[in-house]
Amino acid sequence: MSSAAASTVPGVPHERRRSLRQVNGFSFDQRAFRTGATDIIALGFPGIPFGMVIGVVIAESGIGSLVGWVGSWVILAGAANLALLELMAERTNAAIVLLTVAFINSRHAMYSAALRTRFVGFPRWFRYVGPYFLIDQVFALAASQPDDMAARERLWNYFGSAMTLWTMWVASVTAGILLGDVINPDWHLAFAVPLLFTGLMLLSITNRPGITAAAVGGGVALLTADFPQGSGVIIAILAGVSAGAIAETRSEGAT
Amino acid sequence: MSTWATVFAAGAITYLTRASFIVAGDRVGFPPIVERSLRYVAPASFAAIALPAMLGGDRFASFGDDWPRIIAVCVAAIIIVRWRNVPASLLAGMVTLWLILGLT
Repeated sequence: MSSAAASTVPGVPHERRRSLRQVNGFSFDQRAFRTGATDIIALGFPGIPFGMVIGVVIAESGIGSLVGWVGSWVILAGAANLALLELMAERTNAAIVLLTVAFINSRHAMYSAALRTRFVGFPRWFRYVGPYFLIDQVFALAASQPDDMAARERLWNYFGSAMTLWTMWVASVTAGILLGDVINPDWHLAFAVPLLFTGLMLLSITNRPGITAAAVGGGVALLTADFPQGSGVIIAILAGVSAGAIAETRSEGAT
Repeated sequence: MSTWATVFAAGAITYLTRASFIVAGDRVGFPPIVERSLRYVAPASFAAIALPAMLGGDRFASFGDDWPRIIAVCVAAIIIVRWRNVPASLLAGMVTLWLILGLT
């Protein structure tokens, strides 16, 4: 596809086009890819029991294993996928199902906005394909990379983590569909998810306003947990980031 | 709406939220206060996911039943803050929970 697109560029001889691409410098970086892939594995483990649960719910929901399985990698977001399956199993109106998915996943627009400046100037194909993989853990890793990381390294690090987590997630859902309910609830493996997010939260706090943002975001999320259609999370995140920005502005005013 | 259509529409919604600002790139700009707030997306989001997942079951009344989980989270948190090691903190948190629930 890329060669077809390149050959439509008029007036640029083949050799020169190749050298342009080298100047742009986004050719495959195996080391960065492998680093991203390695770094995401530990973050992906808590998703394995979660993905298997979704597989079990797909098999039991009666919507059909094939459509459920395809849906798991079309949607690629655990919480929204689980809500979708539960609502569809109850034969909820499609508009309500989609509204719920939109509310739960609206946090991804915040992730997208937070990463926006880091991917400016990246190839167009990356800015269209990359966001498909923007799962919470992929965002956590991408957002934690140093500001001065080279663009080529950043791109391939992102894909290394993205494709590894994609594979772990789809394999987990598939295993859940095929094997059924093999995870013993007495192992409390579901608890690994809040453990992971607590860790990611602590790692992402780099200054005092970060503490404010986390405290307000977490506190409001507890208060809004019962809000309809999963709308509480995005309210909590908006409150948290606002509190962080206000705290940062105030601390600057004080010095 | 058929099951397939609903599933693909849900996928499209998810993709659009994720692609929105990354695709827009430098064609959009935010006021400084908004740009500033975006530095806190990670701590605010992860706290908003973690806390209800941990305490959300029975909300505030559940501290009595949940103290093994709260201790386990504290152990994991200490390891994260001290060594910044995610695998170790996950393992320590889970083992702590298993030990407390096994002993009590």
